[in-house]
Amino acid sequence: MASPCEVLVSEHDRALAERIVNVAAAEAARVEAKLSRYRPGNVIDMINTAGGRTIVVDDETARLLDYAAQLFELSEGRFDVTSGVLRRAWRFDGSDRVPSADVIEALLPLVGWQKVRWQAPQLTLEPGMEIDLGGIGKEYAVDRAAALVRPLSERCLLNFGGDLLALGPQTGGWPWRVGVESLNVPGAAAKEIELGRGALATSGDTRRFLRKDGKRYGHILDPITGWPVEDAPRSITVAAPTCTQAGMLATLSLLRGRDAEAFLAAQGVQYWAFR
Amino acid sequence: MQLKDPKPTARGTLGASLTVATCALLGQTVPGEVMAQELMPWDVDTSLLIYSESDGRVSDTSLNVRARKEMREDKFLDLTLAFDSLTGASPSGAVPAGNIQTFTSPSGNSQYTVAAGEPALDTSFLDTRTALSAAWEMPLSRLTLLSVGASLSDEYDYEHTGLNARVAHDFNDRNTTLSFGVALANDTISPVGGSPIPLAPMLGLGDYRNKGGDGSKDVTDFLLGVTQVLNRHTIVQFNYSLSQSDGYLTDPYKILSVVDPVTGVPVAGPPGSGLSLYVFENRPATRDKQSLYGLVKRDFGGNVLEASYRYMTDDWAVDSHTLELRYRWNFGTEKYFQPHVRFYQQTAAEFYRTVLFNNAPLPSYATADYRLGEFDGLTVGVKYGQATARGGEWSARVEYYTQTGTPAPGSAVGALASYDLYPDLNALIAQFTYKFGKR
Repeated sequence: MASPCEVLVSEHDRALAERIVNVAAAEAARVEAKLSRYRPGNVIDMINTAGGRTIVVDDETARLLDYAAQLFELSEGRFDVTSGVLRRAWRFDGSDRVPSADVIEALLPLVGWQKVRWQAPQLTLEPGMEIDLGGIGKEYAVDRAAALVRPLSERCLLNFGGDLLALGPQTGGWPWRVGVESLNVPGAAAKEIELGRGALATSGDTRRFLRKDGKRYGHILDPITGWPVEDAPRSITVAAPTCTQAGMLATLSLLRGRDAEAFLAAQGVQYWAFR
Repeated sequence: MQLKDPKPTARGTLGASLTVATCALLGQTVPGEVMAQELMPWDVDTSLLIYSESDGRVSDTSLNVRARKEMREDKFLDLTLAFDSLTGASPSGAVPAGNIQTFTSPSGNSQYTVAAGEPALDTSFLDTRTALSAAWEMPLSRLTLLSVGASLSDEYDYEHTGLNARVAHDFNDRNTTLSFGVALANDTISPVGGSPIPLAPMLGLGDYRNKGGDGSKDVTDFLLGVTQVLNRHTIVQFNYSLSQSDGYLTDPYKILSVVDPVTGVPVAGPPGSGLSLYVFENRPATRDKQSLYGLVKRDFGGNVLEASYRYMTDDWAVDSHTLELRYRWNFGTEKYFQPHVRFYQQTAAEFYRTVLFNNAPLPSYATADYRLGEFDGLTVGVKYGQATARGGEWSARVEYYTQTGTPAPGSAVGALASYDLYPDLNALIAQFTYKFGKR
């Protein structure tokens, strides 16, 4: 997952705790192996190298693609798992290398879920298009691992690179304490959250941005324009029953730019935004 | 800021669709729940109160800090620290006389004098008090709340320890709350120089034969209360309380003058003491108090009237009535102005005496403590409060208290008729409060 994962268990039985950790770690590894776009031979790699051919995917991938399709609809095209190709133009390395409009314009034909032919279990991408489920994968892995751990114990918290879920409170009913801070504003007021049950997921531009002529380009790209979303908060943390839902709400809100907080407020969810 | 139960109406349709889609992805049939809350700082209430009686009588400066925090879901810890500093002079219980009067201070190591015709004030009155209390409040069920607490206080001659518990249960769609509380206290009194032998005469300098040891008392309080929401604008509350005290209830520093029944002049004290005759007071070792309290709170277009009445009666024959009115005028959402008036009336304890008469049989119990006499009290005041930008509040309150009492019947004999045997008491109360850390 390219980020540290931890499993906190509040149990007296050491063997049980170890089992829980092993179950969670195995599931995290499985989901990563399956969905990472860096793993040759996995289903994502097969899709992205199909060259216009139709790929038949397994049930789990089909559910994820259905979900991606629904999010595309719900976000009116702002959440798009085909937008990864824009990274060929955008490298958010803190430099001032903002791509030219021509380069972005040339990539836009390869972006757009509406161009994808998806009829589960068959997926056909136009040649050159790619999909990337990285925006869902980490949170999905947390929820999947939680489902496997739940029969063993609810007194644990799964934290996969900052996206986390408490199955239930600690022994004695005490909630878990989770620190939330802006991902890239050093010293920004950290918040402490008591989490008894449910998930917290954070989306933000971390240290990935470009700066040119005094303008900051955050790494959240609008797939419709190919340019970074303007005036988005630097990071958003959302609380929701599942980690996937929390993560999607955080991401969808960032895609709204300056209206991110208003969007979340309208959904009636708890959130912590840093600008 | 708990949103574990967000209002469904506030939830956008996108959120609902997303929930359905996510449940389908994860193979869940019902969405789970989320219990998250931002850890809040302590809510802190601070107050500085100055109470000052006229004519150089008692002054109290009291500093109070209360901190409250939600430690776990719906579970609160409440801590209070209070510091009092009392100075000034307190009426000893002796009556004025035509000559200079000399008194031995409670320690037995010094004496003070009171000019002819002046009220007898004990100027050695000085005390500091530190009090600490803690309470833990938690729900026992969705409708039942328990709070348990402990208290400690310390003065140089007085120590208090207490435990208390209260259970409140909501009924009737939460429109009715029934509560029951109990409090136990154990206090130890270690008077300067030892507690005087009851009704024994005050002795001369360095003579400690009238002194005993420490005293202690136990106090048990029960409270039964009901709060009823009558409608959107009105709430009423009734309480019955019973308080039983057992032990040393006497004030070790209070005395009575023994006077000639005809002339009203103090008679001579123990031979060689050089003093007139003053005896230390004595009160019964038990006191049972009962009180009934009613409160009505009504909202008049955003302003709130609060009226309450309390009737108290005890087996010392002290009956009291307290009527209190407050009206809170809100100016916008951030400022308010609140006038306050309180009427108080009490009857005297059956053993209240302004003086004792020479050659009359000594009663078993006697006190000349003006607080156990018959008196009326009136308090009028105003309070102004304002919200701060950070969600806190400050307020300032000024009140004036005046008390008029009646000496025990038949006390104004001979020379005493020309003295004010129950001087009026006037006091000014000023309080400043500051609250911060509010949600």
